Amino acid sequence: MRLPSLFRRTPFRLTLLFLALFATAAAAVLAWVYVASAHEARLRAEEAVRTEVTTLTGIYDARGFDALNMAVIDRTLSRDNFLYLLIDAEGNRVTGSLNVSPIQDYEGGTVWHTFPMTDTLPDGRVVRPQSRGVQMTLRGGEQLFVGQSLGDTEAYLERLTQALWGAMGIVVLLGLIGGLLVSRNLERAMGRLNRTVLAVQDGDLKARVPVRGSGDELDELGQGLNGMLDRLEASMASIRHAGDAIAHDLRSPLTRMRAKLEVALIDAEAGKVSGTEALELALVEADDLLKTFNTVLAIARLQAAAGSGNIPDAKRFDAADLAADLAELYEPAGEDKGLEFSAEIERGLEIIGNRPFLTQALANIIDNAIKYTPEGGAVKLRARRRSSGEIEFSVTDTGPGVPEEDRERVIERFVRLDNSRTEPGSGLGLALVGAVMEAHGGRIQLDEGPGVYNGHGPGLRVALVLAPAP
Amino acid sequence: MRILVVEDDAEAATAMVRGLTEAGHDVVHAVDGAFGLLEAQKGGYDVYVVDRMMPRLDGVGMVETVRKNGDQTPVLFLSALGEVEDRVTGLQAGADDYLVKPYAFAELIARVEALSRRRETGSVATVLKVGDLEMNLISREVHRAGQEIDLQPREFQLLEFMMRHAGQSVTRTMLLEKVWEYHFDPQTNVIDVHISRLRSKIDKGFDKAMLQTVRGAGYRLEA
Repeated sequence: MRLPSLFRRTPFRLTLLFLALFATAAAAVLAWVYVASAHEARLRAEEAVRTEVTTLTGIYDARGFDALNMAVIDRTLSRDNFLYLLIDAEGNRVTGSLNVSPIQDYEGGTVWHTFPMTDTLPDGRVVRPQSRGVQMTLRGGEQLFVGQSLGDTEAYLERLTQALWGAMGIVVLLGLIGGLLVSRNLERAMGRLNRTVLAVQDGDLKARVPVRGSGDELDELGQGLNGMLDRLEASMASIRHAGDAIAHDLRSPLTRMRAKLEVALIDAEAGKVSGTEALELALVEADDLLKTFNTVLAIARLQAAAGSGNIPDAKRFDAADLAADLAELYEPAGEDKGLEFSAEIERGLEIIGNRPFLTQALANIIDNAIKYTPEGGAVKLRARRRSSGEIEFSVTDTGPGVPEEDRERVIERFVRLDNSRTEPGSGLGLALVGAVMEAHGGRIQLDEGPGVYNGHGPGLRVALVLAPAP
Repeated sequence: MRILVVEDDAEAATAMVRGLTEAGHDVVHAVDGAFGLLEAQKGGYDVYVVDRMMPRLDGVGMVETVRKNGDQTPVLFLSALGEVEDRVTGLQAGADDYLVKPYAFAELIARVEALSRRRETGSVATVLKVGDLEMNLISREVHRAGQEIDLQPREFQLLEFMMRHAGQSVTRTMLLEKVWEYHFDPQTNVIDVHISRLRSKIDKGFDKAMLQTVRGAGYRLEA
């Protein structure tokens, strides 16, 4: 662990801050204990002194000065925790453990005083413990001083203070060690996160945070980061895939167009066709290419959307309106081809989705049905709510249909990009339907049509199934 | 018609100026939004054709400023951005129509001409008349040479659009966008079938066929 940088680490700085707070609190407690104890000691000393004074003045009142003098002499010898001084009416010291009164300018009355008492211990050490005493004038003009050393309390307080300082030292030491450990742990965890972030920054999208499985916040953060990276990687992969698909889908029609232009040029040079005809041919090809390009772009956008889980421009709308509008648009085209075109649309089919894309998907299905159903057949558009609550668009035709064993493959053609897409026409249209359904979290179902109808059949039923709006 | 083309791509601009000039219009070209704005302030234009993405002042900025200045000249936006939200922001900026690049030239000319016509028929006419064809927008009745023609609602809308743009070519894409409000190309010739149905109703039994097919472009209603 590099010490100089230690102080820049957030966990260590937090540790120091908390230590400072604890130390301040400890000092406050210490001060309070000290003040309270000192006050208590003074009160106890005063109480003891007061009792002693009462006893002594009792003796004086009952038996006179000499008896008091005897009592003080007696007590001076027997009670070494008390201080005594007896002064006669003339102001001369009579007896006691003190030579002079600690109260220098005593002017009569009862006066309490706190003072340091110089004392020599048996081992020769000189101590000056705080003492508290009272001086009073007796009836005969004599003065009595009784005091008590606060020494015991002092010593206790001193020990207490020492203990508290010691405790504080331990608190600070433990706090520092704890802070170091916590910050080192945290730094390790953050280091793992940082290394991953840096690796990703440097272009390694496969880098992941090692997760320890402790389930703490940092682990959660790591897991979240990993999830984010997974998603990012997937969506980048799908964009790359879409790019490849675009290149693939455009290369073939461009090649075809180039070949046709070349043939047209040769033909024009040979005088077989006019230059105008060749150019018109080129224009038709270019328009086809543009259509292909737009579809490929739409598919790429939808696939990117499916990867990110967001439907672009999603709105809530009634799928029944969508179906009714398309039925109205396609009905003449169906009849023009000699088909019986009908629509059966339930009302109130609310869904959430991209209306233009869903319209285009259903239009592509209807287009296909009309294209593959021979004259005299029928195409039926249905929009309904399934008993499961799902919304279903279905287009049933009486064309040749798709054999059951091939349906899976056809559905894959809706979903997967494969070579069939390079063929002009329906290939890309179906891929678009697949992409639209994928982006909407819906699915495609293929079933047999109504069977033989007017000599054709068995027909195909294509259903687009979507979740209803919540 | 006097047209201001605001387009930064020199080649595209040259082709556009030439094509529009050959179609009989008077065309001025500005190389970006700032020059376009300057030119627009001189006044006297029937339509502005504005590219959406340009250096300095872009199309959206220019059209917003033009509209803020109280200039109501119709604007056709050209853009490579064809998503719904792109159209919406373009139209919100004050454009009247939105054409996605690349486009067929016939499409551009048809749209420009449709826009200029829009201003002329901005009045609150309740009856449209083209030759002996008459459409009452209130009673929703259509007569040709005094003979009533029964139309479905969509056929009525289709004919109304054709009558409002009588004498002009309208493309299949325009019809799909303006009458049906769809922005995709159906593979089947759905529009052709609707037109031929309408044609059989308004032209059948009359000497002159009004609803004509314009090769390479679309359709035209002629008096």
